[in-house]
Amino acid sequence: MPPFKDEQIIIIAPGSETTVAQLGLPESFTPARLRVRSRMFPADAKGQWEPYKVRRRQDQPDKPAEAQNGAPAADDAPKTIANGDDDEVVYEEDRVSEEGAVWPIQEGRIVDWPCFFALIEHVYNAMNPPFHAPILLIAQPAWTPKEHEKLTQFFFEKFKTPAFGLMDAALATSWAYGVHTATVVDVGKDKVDVTAISEFIPHTQGRVVSLAGCGGEALTQGLLTKLKTKGFTRDMCEQLKKNPICEILPVGIPLPGSDGLPEADPVTNPAAAASTGATGSGAAAAAAIGNVPRGPGADTEVGEEAAEDAEGVLDVASIVAGGKMNEYLAKKEKEKQDKVITKKKGVETSATAARPIRLPNARREKATFLYEDHVLLDTLKNMNLGTKGMADAHAALDEGPQRRGQDAENSADGEPRSAVEANGVHEPGSATARTGHIRREIEVGHERFQAATSNNVLEKIADAVHRTISSMDEVKKRSELWDALIVCGNGSKVRGFKDALVAILQTKYLISPSSATMFTSEIPSNISTPLGTGANTPQPQLGPHGGASQVNPLLLAATTSQNPLLGPPGNNPMIPGMPTHNMHSSHGQTPTSIKFVKPPEYFPEWKDVGFDESAFLGAQVAAKVIFVVDQGQSKGYMTRPDYNEQGPMGIHDYGL
Amino acid sequence: MNISNSTSAPNAGEYAGDEVSAIVLDPGYSTTRAGFAGEDVPKSVCPSFYGQIDSDAGPQYLFGENAIHNPLGNLQIKNPWGADGIVEDWETATKVWEFAITSRLTGSKPGNPAKNGLNDGNDTNGDAMDVDLDVDMDGIENLEKPLEDSPLLMTEPGWNSTKAREKYIEIAMEDWGTPAFYLQKTGVLAAFAAGKASGIIIDVGASHTSVTPVLDGMVLRKGVQKSPLAGNFVSNQIRMIYKQAQPEVPLTPHYLVKAKNQVDAGAPAQATYRTFDVPPTDSFRTYEEERVLTEFKESVVEVWPGPGRFSNGPNEEMAKATPGRPYEMPDGWNQVFGVERFRPAEGLFDAAAALQDAENPRPKDEHTISRLIQAAVQQVDADARPLLLQNIVVTGGSTLLYKFNERLNWEINTVYPSTRNKLIAPGTVVERKYAAWIGGSILASLGSFHQLWISRKEYEEHGANIVEKRCR
Repeated sequence: MPPFKDEQIIIIAPGSETTVAQLGLPESFTPARLRVRSRMFPADAKGQWEPYKVRRRQDQPDKPAEAQNGAPAADDAPKTIANGDDDEVVYEEDRVSEEGAVWPIQEGRIVDWPCFFALIEHVYNAMNPPFHAPILLIAQPAWTPKEHEKLTQFFFEKFKTPAFGLMDAALATSWAYGVHTATVVDVGKDKVDVTAISEFIPHTQGRVVSLAGCGGEALTQGLLTKLKTKGFTRDMCEQLKKNPICEILPVGIPLPGSDGLPEADPVTNPAAAASTGATGSGAAAAAAIGNVPRGPGADTEVGEEAAEDAEGVLDVASIVAGGKMNEYLAKKEKEKQDKVITKKKGVETSATAARPIRLPNARREKATFLYEDHVLLDTLKNMNLGTKGMADAHAALDEGPQRRGQDAENSADGEPRSAVEANGVHEPGSATARTGHIRREIEVGHERFQAATSNNVLEKIADAVHRTISSMDEVKKRSELWDALIVCGNGSKVRGFKDALVAILQTKYLISPSSATMFTSEIPSNISTPLGTGANTPQPQLGPHGGASQVNPLLLAATTSQNPLLGPPGNNPMIPGMPTHNMHSSHGQTPTSIKFVKPPEYFPEWKDVGFDESAFLGAQVAAKVIFVVDQGQSKGYMTRPDYNEQGPMGIHDYGL
Repeated sequence: MNISNSTSAPNAGEYAGDEVSAIVLDPGYSTTRAGFAGEDVPKSVCPSFYGQIDSDAGPQYLFGENAIHNPLGNLQIKNPWGADGIVEDWETATKVWEFAITSRLTGSKPGNPAKNGLNDGNDTNGDAMDVDLDVDMDGIENLEKPLEDSPLLMTEPGWNSTKAREKYIEIAMEDWGTPAFYLQKTGVLAAFAAGKASGIIIDVGASHTSVTPVLDGMVLRKGVQKSPLAGNFVSNQIRMIYKQAQPEVPLTPHYLVKAKNQVDAGAPAQATYRTFDVPPTDSFRTYEEERVLTEFKESVVEVWPGPGRFSNGPNEEMAKATPGRPYEMPDGWNQVFGVERFRPAEGLFDAAAALQDAENPRPKDEHTISRLIQAAVQQVDADARPLLLQNIVVTGGSTLLYKFNERLNWEINTVYPSTRNKLIAPGTVVERKYAAWIGGSILASLGSFHQLWISRKEYEEHGANIVEKRCR
């Protein structure tokens, strides 16, 4: 009789940006049901926290006008908690706004403990768990043992949980993939953690913990530095990043329409490469890592259309705040009509112009995305317009609905999803629908491909991977680690991120077989150097699999020597008494190959959304094992009696 | 629910056993190891190097792996250790060590002492439990010192000066506020890690090689020998091999390379290089080059295993017959290193075989490992010598050089052919690299050790000089 049942188990995975949690393990593991933005708002009373922004306002209890406006605005109605009489002070819970929010986790570290505890409490209460609910918490690598104790104490004493376990995020990821040895690159919001896991044990010594300036936020900032001159705000860039039109192109693929920008892609310039002056005189091409802002040089050369477009991107919030909303709207309307006209013309003149969607994103010079203007919304709200005025302004400014008919993903149900979700990001409890988006259409040029270029995000991560694996004490494990790369974390969701990362790893670190040793040390010297006749070329039928195998036996020997488990039973007849140290094994350089681990096949629900949050999946697997299957035999969690006996320090004796 | 009934509070001043997690700090030239006593590996292994960026606002210091490998403009890489194997720059050494402890062990913001579990039952009694933790956690002042709840065991090199030892305890007590402190020599701890109370400890680290005779857990101070022929020396030898090669081997660290292309062995590299508006300093480049050299040491360098020295008789010819090892530089340049791969480490054993140039004079003969052992054994009573020679503990990262132990064994047997000499070299890399730390971890978690701690009270009473009396 297992001590706990599947449906009682709570898993919580706190993150810098999003905290996900779930009560109960479903039959087939699903992505986390509860998603909460990892932030809380200070309440009026000191030391208290609210999960949503609470606004005070004078409300005019007009009937919501959305009904007349039809479906478009239905989801935009602000949710009022108390709907009282005229001029009554109303506290409004604003589920969209993030003004004044406190983010307790920064770069993976918990910086504001009271806020963090409040967040966990909010998450816990949102799940409404039964009394007898064990908790598995996914621990960020940046959390120190002392902090683990603190968390243990909190969970036992606050929630009176009967059992509590901590699981390392990287280890959880390896569980999800079902591999015992892997290099886990977890790309978070502000940081990247790189962990080498060997035989289910994370290698703590060389672990790169919380590498700052490499996460999703860095990509946003990268976009921002490119687009700042065009009036983009951080929020716009953030949403652009999450949109599929934003993409990181692998090294060597030219930007569409970048002919005029040779310096943006120095890789294609072999003349410069040949120079020996490595320390270089510093042509401004690649700015030093860090916050060195790029000069305007790179951004000056933009198409006329883009410049025109910048008009549309202007800070609408300040226009509205300045009371010039109507002027703006009139202008916008005119623009819209112009656009329609040009569009019609376009249909007549050229088909490609009218249907740019047909081109793959990487080849299109420009693309548009829907932007949800939170600042504008906040401005409107702070203007105390009242429900009616609010709805009107809203309907006038929102550009979203007109596109909805075209967007298949948005028309799926009556509750429109935001454009932000296009990459699979689901906002907290999408059932409760985030209300009040004002969407505007924004066009961007090739800058959308340059999120990672200006601050060398990928190179920093690649270097971290190299450092992590190089610090692995056992040299012979390194090649295994290079062959088992896992990139996870929501920061890596940007299209093309993983491929670009592996491309960089390959161009920078991959060791190619040396031409000098191809026939001497790579292959044992008892095989004579093949002559041009082809007589010495190894024949497939000499291989260990009889005639059936088409695998080149040398290739087989070279690959299997790194991992004896993979090798065929018995010795390879071609290569008796192979000296191990001359192969790329115990004493040789790594990597000779770099590969991703294949994501597991048997989780259909996860396949759809991707394995970016695979740590959660791994935690589900682990929770099933430690709480249910092995009945606590593996000491994967601490029970309440254990806690009572040992105190928080005991947590170090438990865990996987 | 009152949980403290079942928890017995440790008595004040009793810092031992499994109840309290002592921290073991083992600072070295290359890395600083820190972790909790009782664990089998240090949780925190941080580089002892630190970064410094000088600006008008004064120097800015950067600590930790992530920061010092980041090629920032004008970044200098420095090390607080002096050339004599004793800490030189105490101010930054303190910060480096503190970083090693706080970044991975205790957290940058120290825990609330009422809530960290150490004081269970004292002030978190009864109803205090029911008070909302949020409120309790709030408003705790940040003035706490990083080690206020953990006793600290530190390691020191065998030749540490009195002044340096006093400085250690001052840092621990004044800057970190540790409640109890103890200082132990790395040699003794490495012997403990190998399960020996007596023996000769050969520690080949980054900056120094030391030979420490230990008898019944005590270092024979006059027997402690050290020499600068260690890991960094091997690195320098490799650099010289690169320089003297025809054509010269280019040593380009990873951070300068944007993309490399495959080239034929020996052909010039065809890589794309990165350029910097404000390049990091030369010291940064040297430090990054060291990473390449480390990899070279791991994958190419080999110690001539004997018998006989490498330069003796036909050995070099024999070495030529063995297949070479290929090595590829970060910029794609690659070559097979044949007989050259035996040269860099040969100087450790044979001063005459070391490569020399203007900056790197010929090492002294008495600095070779075999001469150090001889000198150390010489200082020991003749009756104790056989005992020591039966327990030769090999530790330090540089002893991981391929075939190092075979050679060492041959050298020792040549010098002492009549005794039973036994090398104790742990097979796992972790134990070899972190032997002193592991010994410290064992020592500090022994129940009987707690009477050795120097408590804060004693320190306040007697002053820093107490280490001289208590930690021998």
